[in-house]
Amino acid sequence: MTELRLPAGERAGRAVVRSTDLLAGLVALLVVLHFATPGLFDAPVVLAWSTVFVAVCLQALPFLVLGVALSAAISTLVPASFFARALPRRPALAVPVAGVAGVVLPGCECASVPVAGSLVRRGVTPAAALAFLLAAPAINPVVLVATAVAFPGQPEMVAARFAASLGVALVMGWLWTLAGRAEWFRLARPVPSAPGAGRAAVFRDTMQHDLVHAGGFLVVGGAAAATLGVLVPRSWLEQVAASPVLAVLVLAGLAVVLAICSEADAFVAASLTSFSLTARLVFLVVGPAVDVKLIALQAGTFGRGFALRFAPATLLVAVGVAVLVGEVLL
Amino acid sequence: MTRPDRTTQHVLLLLLGVVVLLVAGTDRYLDYVQAGFRPLLLGAGVVVAGLGLAGLLRRRVGVHEHPGPAVGWLLAAPVAVLLVVAPPALGSWSAGRQVTAPPALPAAPSAAGIGPDDEGADHRTMTLFAYHVWSKAPDPSALEGRRIRLVGFVSPRAAGGWYVTRFDINCCAADATAIRVAVPDGAAEFAPDEWVEVIGTSAPSRTDPAVGYPEPTIDAVSVRAVPAPAETYE
Repeated sequence: MTELRLPAGERAGRAVVRSTDLLAGLVALLVVLHFATPGLFDAPVVLAWSTVFVAVCLQALPFLVLGVALSAAISTLVPASFFARALPRRPALAVPVAGVAGVVLPGCECASVPVAGSLVRRGVTPAAALAFLLAAPAINPVVLVATAVAFPGQPEMVAARFAASLGVALVMGWLWTLAGRAEWFRLARPVPSAPGAGRAAVFRDTMQHDLVHAGGFLVVGGAAAATLGVLVPRSWLEQVAASPVLAVLVLAGLAVVLAICSEADAFVAASLTSFSLTARLVFLVVGPAVDVKLIALQAGTFGRGFALRFAPATLLVAVGVAVLVGEVLL
Repeated sequence: MTRPDRTTQHVLLLLLGVVVLLVAGTDRYLDYVQAGFRPLLLGAGVVVAGLGLAGLLRRRVGVHEHPGPAVGWLLAAPVAVLLVVAPPALGSWSAGRQVTAPPALPAAPSAAGIGPDDEGADHRTMTLFAYHVWSKAPDPSALEGRRIRLVGFVSPRAAGGWYVTRFDINCCAADATAIRVAVPDGAAEFAPDEWVEVIGTSAPSRTDPAVGYPEPTIDAVSVRAVPAPAETYE
């Protein structure tokens, strides 16, 4: 009994619609809806949701583009071996250096996971790589400027975000030197880049990939923010916001679920006007450190065993540090 | 779900960039973000559209294709919403959702008075925000005996008449706070979301049981319909 077996790719190719076909259908549908059905979406709730959704997306897009461009420039121009040479040998010292290095290396969290993975592969102590992983997306200049724009006249919010996020990175790095085990890591092999591709092409490819990826998650965040703002009764939000403990827990959970890029999350936080500044700080500190998208990325880069231990620990530390900093600074 | 291949990703980026440029190129962007954001939006639109276009023009042959992340499809969502729904600035429906609490305002006005009358007129134009601040000031005498001109849209009021309303935004429409001034004897001929100019004299703030907190109020002398301004937010 012999069976004709097709290669996996061909078998999949038969079952799956080509994405360009899907795209053409989508565009055709848009054109039809645009011209054929004026007034179809005129319900006030639809209009209000759409306005808020578009507002969050538009407001965050320039910052996302800036962050993606800078991170693509760094991954193209700065060799990973540079970081291995620049860091102190002792892990306890390398952690703060790597954490502070996050300040000058802009990038959103989706970009920092692969960078941290390549750092570990090139011999950087894992504790330092993890401090960098947590610090870079949270306290880089692009994110701090976006935070200042989103909270005009409240520079203490920027200071609090910086202090709390750096604190989380250091605590987690040192925690790893005390309790971390190398066998929790299972590093994935890097995707080989096309041979012979020039730097400009690599830069463009990296930027395009990151923009599509992070942009998609930004849309998820914008939709969630619009839904919260428009569909959830305001009195519920205000009841939750009135209880300090509940407000912190709900916004921490929201940060994990929404998975908004750190370059955009300040605008979503600013829109949660009924919540206290401390609760919103928790949102800003938890988001870049642990969320569903990051857990997925970390599991893919470092292995599932690592992600399952690292994410809950980071969540606890992030909430604790943010509340502490919020009490002192806000 | 079919993941977007390279060509699809480029087209999605191009669409998004072009739509952002269309919105930022006209006054439509003012319905969503602050006026100062136009250069940033234009820059982002150029970069995003340029990336998509460059990718489409420079198709590399023989390179193994990695399909993009499925979440990338969502880039089509803002394009679809902007082209199909084309949402206007927030209006009376959204304002009506914010009645449970008064907006947080600075405790006292920063200037010494509300300033002189408009040139050639016997009234002073104020933003609704400034009117709120002054009517809640410890010493509201600056408003006494003055005729005030307010411009905003009509939103329904449970306790009779209507509100002249504007949204105050910090950075974008997602953080909009409704600023309302009650016009208790406002005529019913003005429908919700209609833009009006109200000229009148300041009345003491009243607490209506249907609302629960003191509302800044104006006794209208004249009300007339006006066209909506390009920048509807304060």
